[in-house]
Amino acid sequence: MTRGLYGVALISIVLIAIGVATTYFGSRYHLRLVYGAYVNLLVVLGLQVFMGNARITNLSHSAFMGIGAYVAAICVTPETVKAISLPQAPWGLNAFSLDPISSALIAIAITAIIAALIGLIIVRLTAIGATIVSLAVLVIVHSVFLFRTDIFKGNQAFFGIPQVFSLTSIVILSVAVVFIARMFRESKWGVQLRASADDELGAQASGVNIHQVRLIAWILSGILLSIAGIAYAFYLGTISARPFYFNHVFLTLAMLILGGMRTVTGAVLGTLIISFGLESVRWIETGPVVLGIDLPEVLGLSGVVLGAVIVLTMAFRPEGIMGDREVEDLLLKP
Amino acid sequence: MLAVDQLSVFHGPIEAVHGISFNVAAGQCVSLLGPNGAGKTSTISAITGVVRATGRIEVDGEIMSDQPVESRILKGVSVAPEGRRVFANLSVEDNLKLGGAIVQNKANIRSDIAHWLQTFPVLGERRAQLAGTLSGGEQQMLAIARALMSRPKILLLDEPSLGLAPKIVAQIFDIIRHLKNEGMTILLVEQNATQALKLSDYSYLLNNGKIVAEGSAEKLGQSNELMAELTGIA
Amino acid sequence: MEYIVQQVINALAFGAEYALLALGLAIVFSIMGLVNFAHGEIIAVGGYTMVALGALMIGNPYIVIASAVVAAMFASVMLERFAFRPVRYADPTTGLLTAFGVSMILQNLFLLFVSPRPIAVTSLYFLDWPVNLFGVQVSSLQLFETGATALVIVALMLFLRRTTLGIAMRAAALDFEMVRLVGIRANRVFAVAFLVSGLLAGLACIFIMARRGSVDPHMGFNPVLKAFVACVVGGFGSLPGAVLGGFILGAVEVAMLVLLPQEYGGMKDAFVFGIIALLLIWRPNGILSPRIEKGDKV
Repeated sequence: MTRGLYGVALISIVLIAIGVATTYFGSRYHLRLVYGAYVNLLVVLGLQVFMGNARITNLSHSAFMGIGAYVAAICVTPETVKAISLPQAPWGLNAFSLDPISSALIAIAITAIIAALIGLIIVRLTAIGATIVSLAVLVIVHSVFLFRTDIFKGNQAFFGIPQVFSLTSIVILSVAVVFIARMFRESKWGVQLRASADDELGAQASGVNIHQVRLIAWILSGILLSIAGIAYAFYLGTISARPFYFNHVFLTLAMLILGGMRTVTGAVLGTLIISFGLESVRWIETGPVVLGIDLPEVLGLSGVVLGAVIVLTMAFRPEGIMGDREVEDLLLKP
Repeated sequence: MLAVDQLSVFHGPIEAVHGISFNVAAGQCVSLLGPNGAGKTSTISAITGVVRATGRIEVDGEIMSDQPVESRILKGVSVAPEGRRVFANLSVEDNLKLGGAIVQNKANIRSDIAHWLQTFPVLGERRAQLAGTLSGGEQQMLAIARALMSRPKILLLDEPSLGLAPKIVAQIFDIIRHLKNEGMTILLVEQNATQALKLSDYSYLLNNGKIVAEGSAEKLGQSNELMAELTGIA
Repeated sequence: MEYIVQQVINALAFGAEYALLALGLAIVFSIMGLVNFAHGEIIAVGGYTMVALGALMIGNPYIVIASAVVAAMFASVMLERFAFRPVRYADPTTGLLTAFGVSMILQNLFLLFVSPRPIAVTSLYFLDWPVNLFGVQVSSLQLFETGATALVIVALMLFLRRTTLGIAMRAAALDFEMVRLVGIRANRVFAVAFLVSGLLAGLACIFIMARRGSVDPHMGFNPVLKAFVACVVGGFGSLPGAVLGGFILGAVEVAMLVLLPQEYGGMKDAFVFGIIALLLIWRPNGILSPRIEKGDKV
């Protein structure tokens, strides 16, 4: 546990340093970019809690993020705005508005309930079965977002969400989530879950209730993902269904895989590398002028790079950069 | 025929066999004996190439140790592995057909199948039956016949008597004796030392990954103490 | 009555397409435990081949069809050789993620080197004309699709039962190492599995292209998603399961189209996936899957 806290502290220093540097030296554009990276960090950490400890590939994480984002957005947006944007919303959804904290709590609660209901199914399935059901969840949630345009506005922008968060808030939030994810990993449940991933029968024989610990991890994961969604909505001011679908699923998955899904350090490292790496690739993609040479536009390059990162990681280092080591394992003696 | 020199076998980071050397001359039946975990199966797996190993393995003067599994089979090694591992979802006949997959001449495959089904009449009666429905003894016969289908230079038998009733064990050893009399070179791995010693020309005793004794049946049999300690069978 | 017959034929045609794709996934999964999500991009390779032929002014339907199928087979074998060989003996999750990565790379390569926009391919429209079948109006394409799938299933069955390599592939699904231990080259078994899988994707490509008439970088994604679902429903790795799953999925889809009120049309996929999820709760390993032993293999 103490070692864990040491690790959390180290990661926090890095996260805070990046935040401070951006606040003082970054442009508005950089601020937005770094904010986006921290949102993805929250998603990857939420993903790690279940996927990394239970070692079951989850594809529904962006859907839970979306649920959190939409519920918080619907609650917090002023009635005056909703009267224009959601004139046909049922159940009086456009006739009330709440303060940000209550909105966030409601969003977390609703996501947790949905996660719990789905989790009851997911935890009973074999690894591949759980993955396909998580895929089904993603498709179903996305279809609902698209279909109920009266509530979610589908692919159109849901606008008018007040900007509640700043970069400072999300840095604090991410430090807190790193702490939670790390403490879960080292907790009794986390240890049992990892043990059952290594040897399901053995863990069962020594009295681990696999379904129960999986469910706990799944719900915690859902809660963290909803927080990521809330943070997303509370900063950007507009949301739509598109960012909560396959592209985002694969992006965050690649981050977790590259860093190493078994550790919190891996989740953070992978997110930072891909977020900042991809930004440079995107810059090349637009066809910039380098040293007087006008480079051509290469749309799709970032996708190729992202795919290559996944394939190469799987081929040469399937356990990710960090493997089973947390950051303090690199610095402290065992 | 088979020459093994300084063979060490690894399962992940663990070394299961520590630099053993032994020989099997053409037409001989040599046995590797020893208790559970002595490294017998590891040795067999190293000869077929399915585990990581260092050292030198030669068959008929040709070095096998740097070749992939399939090439070793092609060059005359064949195995009836521990646990039999017949293809349970295939018929007896298809199991044999796969055993002969490396034989080029189709007519030879057909005649070999006919030959072995005749040699093992129980299999002949069940040629269309799924291998998974056979009894343990029948599956062992099928595993041996399948191994023979490739017309090997040397036959590796890994614990052929494991988990079988005494009457069936006797049958299996009769089969091995028959094969030996027909001139087959055999490396036999067994826990059932008494039976194996009886039909082997030469035997090696393995314990903890090392050869602790070797010799003919008479010589090893005299040292009752050693036998009792290592095999648990007096 | 006529309406019912029409819908049944609809369901069969949908099911046939899913079954073709699902078989392609299942044959690879059965021997190497890989869920090949890049299967969809194999379909796209077939589609882009047609585009290339169109650009070369080659319109002969036989050449177009043959080239698309051959290109799909070639691409599939190349994927095995260069992308999936390093993860050949890895666990299913590693394989699945690799496949996602490969799929992403290919989609973006199409985007990068061809175009992000759909390109029209008209050379296969001739396959589609209205047919009057015992007084019921159906499309010739649907009949071709159902017929071709039936033929493929029979051919595949013969291959798996009669040829040594086919028998070896069935054996490999159970104990791959033992297949190597009888001297059959692992590389050959894998190559053939991917070749067959590519062939099935190529055939599916013909029908998909004839129906939609255009190709875009993401065209393979949805069909493979459905095929994946079909495999899971039937029992992953089971070939009969893949076929059954494909037809069940086709039936569920058509039932949804028929039963759901018009305004719920956008929810079709949600309902289909919901039903599939329920099916999995009832049979976690799929309908025809063999019982999985979780303990160590002896």
